[in-house]
Amino acid sequence: MQEKQDNTKKRKQSKKFHYSFWLFILPCALLFLLFFIVPLALNFFYSFTDYDGFRQMNQIGFANYQELFQDREFYQTLRRTFIYTFISLPFKVILPLGLAVLMVSKVVRFKTLTRGLIYLPVLLSSLVVGLTMNWMFGEQYGLVNFLLEQLGFARVQWATNPFFTKMLIIIASTWASTGFYMLIYIGALSGIDEEIDEAALLDGATGWKKFFHITVPLIKPTTFLVSLLSIISLLKEYALIQGITQGGPGTSTTYIVQYILSEGFDKARYGYASAASVIVMIIFAAIAFVQFRFSRGGEVNG
Amino acid sequence: MDKQVKHQKWSFLQTTVSLAAGILIFFPVLWLIMSSFKSSGELFSYPLSFFPEQFSLENYQNVIENGFFQYIYNSFFIAVVGTLITVVINSMCGYALAIYRKQLGYTGIVFGVFLLGTLIPSEALIISQFTVISFLGLYNSLLGVILPVVTTTTGIFMYRQFFIGIPDSFLEAARMDGASEFRIFMSIMIPLAKPTTITLIIFSFMWRWNDYILPLLVLSRQNRYTIQIAIRNYIGAWNTDWQSILAASVISIIPVAILYIFLQKYIVGTNVSSGNK
Repeated sequence: MQEKQDNTKKRKQSKKFHYSFWLFILPCALLFLLFFIVPLALNFFYSFTDYDGFRQMNQIGFANYQELFQDREFYQTLRRTFIYTFISLPFKVILPLGLAVLMVSKVVRFKTLTRGLIYLPVLLSSLVVGLTMNWMFGEQYGLVNFLLEQLGFARVQWATNPFFTKMLIIIASTWASTGFYMLIYIGALSGIDEEIDEAALLDGATGWKKFFHITVPLIKPTTFLVSLLSIISLLKEYALIQGITQGGPGTSTTYIVQYILSEGFDKARYGYASAASVIVMIIFAAIAFVQFRFSRGGEVNG
Repeated sequence: MDKQVKHQKWSFLQTTVSLAAGILIFFPVLWLIMSSFKSSGELFSYPLSFFPEQFSLENYQNVIENGFFQYIYNSFFIAVVGTLITVVINSMCGYALAIYRKQLGYTGIVFGVFLLGTLIPSEALIISQFTVISFLGLYNSLLGVILPVVTTTTGIFMYRQFFIGIPDSFLEAARMDGASEFRIFMSIMIPLAKPTTITLIIFSFMWRWNDYILPLLVLSRQNRYTIQIAIRNYIGAWNTDWQSILAASVISIIPVAILYIFLQKYIVGTNVSSGNK
């Protein structure tokens, strides 16, 4: 009798839990469904059509993908994006690490001030980051060229020579993210056990030796995390470039997000752009897979 | 004695290097601010000088006379309303995913579905997302740039992490007292999660304030522009209106900087890495 009563009570409570759970997650779930799951499905669907975003929409099978695989511009843009990512990556990782080491050093003074100064660019929008750097490195009235001239050097063609333009974008992107990744590294470095530090000192490991043989291996998971976040943000760089070159000169700084947007909205080829998006999604899914394998689901969280 | 001198030298050297790096990194923003107070004649003439020869508000007057208050209002509306919705619905979602995880077998799967959101960047979905927004009649509406982005994986993740750390006994005691599930959440749990909430407020405000692609595509009428889109429109194909860009950019930095300065001490260190949505 008692047991039966307990059971009904339990069942009643369990029902209440189901009910409450779904009520709690309803708003998030609904919006997620509407603005993520539905677009995801739609994107696959569009990629098999010639949808122009207006009225024309015919099923055309794999034609978009066939065209995409023969589209030299697509390949070149993808290649350009990868090269940009891998050349920028070392700067994005090493600079914050170096600064973080200084920021946890016991002998450094004015740390709060310095940290604030380094963090500030993180608060700027990507567009404003691009514009700020564009202003600094302007070909005619930029401060950098002015100073170079004062020092007797030639002006640099930051806007018209693709090599320097790419360099400027790397500088801008690194500038904007350094403070953020530095903070992650500071978290990791302050987590290193003092005992390990002392043991290293006793073993006679100091300075550079200690840094490369003890510190760097210990914070490997953090370096992995920072590299991953960098790769993801570099691959989808867009707004920052809008503030500097808008993809030029020519197409020398047009990366994959800009390619998708221009195919989709400027040329009204939603279907074709959707097919390109699918390829990009596959690339990101592969990166996420690598992340999952190496971090076992978020263990690296600095 | 000798060791102490060496120590001091070392300290001086490291402090100098770090301060120099800090100033170098801060300098472009300072230069932007200084330039925004220069008149057009001074901006485009050699030699350049650090301080404005004549402190001028010309650039600010210009942008404000050209409807900038409307853009500021739009940006604020999007950032404030978006953040409000984000905090309310993400805390509910993260909370439910955390506390029912032992009683209900499927919460893990639901959480996994939400994590899909981090797997695919919104940039890759933008085209079909745009057609959904248009279909719902949200084209040119401020809600059209708010609703698609308020479910954040970061927010759900942060709240879930936090509430997993709350002992079960806490919850059971409240249930014994006869409080409803929603009451418990509102009057006991949410106040506990204050540090998480403040962290999410800062991030969310910053994301929405600095958003670019979605407002660019969804808001095409000029009286719907956000600050970012207004700034983008100062960049012309042939002529770039640098005077307006300088002033508008400086204005655009202020709210985020203020928010950050006042609330940064609340940011929980361990959550820093989740800031990159």
